[in-house]
Amino acid sequence: MTPTRTLVLGFVASLLLALLLQLIRLPELLAAARPLWVPLILAYWALREPRISTLFPAFVTGLLLDVLFGTPLGQHSLGLVLLVYLVERMRSIFILFPLWQATLALIPAWVLFSFLMFWIDGATQHRADAWLRWLPVLSTTLFWPLLFSVMETLRQPDDDE
Amino acid sequence: MNTLPETHRRPLFPRGPSLGLRTLLLAGLSLALIFNDSRSDALQPVRSTLSFLLAPLVWAAALPHHLAAAAENLDSREALERENRALKEKQLLLEVRLQRMAALEAENRRIRELLASAARIDDQVLIAEIIAVSQDPYRNQITLNKGARDGVYRGQALVDAHGVLGQIVEVGPRQSKALLITDPDHGIPVEVNRTGMQTIAIGSGDERGLRLPFLASNADIKVGDLLVSSALGGRFPAGYPVGTVYEVKHVAGEHFMEAYASPAARLNQGRQALLVWSEHFHRSDEHDDALQAPAATTDPAP
Repeated sequence: MTPTRTLVLGFVASLLLALLLQLIRLPELLAAARPLWVPLILAYWALREPRISTLFPAFVTGLLLDVLFGTPLGQHSLGLVLLVYLVERMRSIFILFPLWQATLALIPAWVLFSFLMFWIDGATQHRADAWLRWLPVLSTTLFWPLLFSVMETLRQPDDDE
Repeated sequence: MNTLPETHRRPLFPRGPSLGLRTLLLAGLSLALIFNDSRSDALQPVRSTLSFLLAPLVWAAALPHHLAAAAENLDSREALERENRALKEKQLLLEVRLQRMAALEAENRRIRELLASAARIDDQVLIAEIIAVSQDPYRNQITLNKGARDGVYRGQALVDAHGVLGQIVEVGPRQSKALLITDPDHGIPVEVNRTGMQTIAIGSGDERGLRLPFLASNADIKVGDLLVSSALGGRFPAGYPVGTVYEVKHVAGEHFMEAYASPAARLNQGRQALLVWSEHFHRSDEHDDALQAPAATTDPAP
């Protein structure tokens, strides 16, 4: 039972770390290009760990993000739930890809998430027209190989079970 | 490199509803929440509870910034002496001004008494520390370390040493969230100081600061005009500087013109803000609104 417990602990810890990274104060110029840390980490777990159901945690994390960012409750949870669904559905295709192809193949997922945030902001009358909104898609794509390799290295000892 | 783990196996008999069904349920729930939350305040308690639970995380995220600020405090002796000298000079200057201010205030009071007016010049205030700045670049919000226990109420005005900062939108027990005047969701009634013209300044959400839309095409407003807060609407105390007009835009063939103003308050600098108890709002509040905590009537420590 212990491996599962470490797995869940690692999952929760990585989610908390992602939330923290999402919140840390950055200079104004960099803030617009901040990678989507929470979607990144959730996509990683959805892709790599079939033993954990990522869907409900994605919903809860989304609610926390909504509270932290002052967006309407449900905005981020909707985006994250759909993102996780997409990634889990595509898992069987993704696992055949080498890392760089997976990196490219995940771009539509980030675009979907950014578009949903943009769209709900528009629908709830929060003016949203900046082109800079699409910048995180680029930075998230660049960070995916890094995050993937780091997480794989960190999790290597656990996988021996 | 292959991303398939050796231990990967799909459970043969997955329990519970399928992935698609669960996604549908959760997405529906999210949509319902969005719909509800953007139209009513019913979910406000959930939000305050969650934000109370998340306070440690916010604190931890602000830690690097605070540490950097603390490191800056470890100044050299020389720098401290220089700063000390500058501060002393400034204090002298301010003291002189304060003496005049006292005389003016007394005079103002006498004249107001003559007019039988109840308005006061010194509003009741409380200093709050800014503990977090919203990291969503499209929302201009800050979190303060004062909440309902200190008598903070929703809609309360927030100023700094230079002008109006914004207003409180969310009150937790020990912290509260404020919307800055530059947020696109924020509008503030203002008065052009030179002419007394009333209008509304809307946040532009970007570096343009404040926008004054729908001005009559012959309105008397020009670059350099000071905008001060107006008591219309009863939310903001009157007479605090809001911004300075830096551009007036006539569009040929349009009935209205637009002006842009840069905010007077130092929005993204400084760590403290002043909460102001607006006399108007306060009075009408006692009758019809229970948002107000009783502590607001007692004089808080400055």
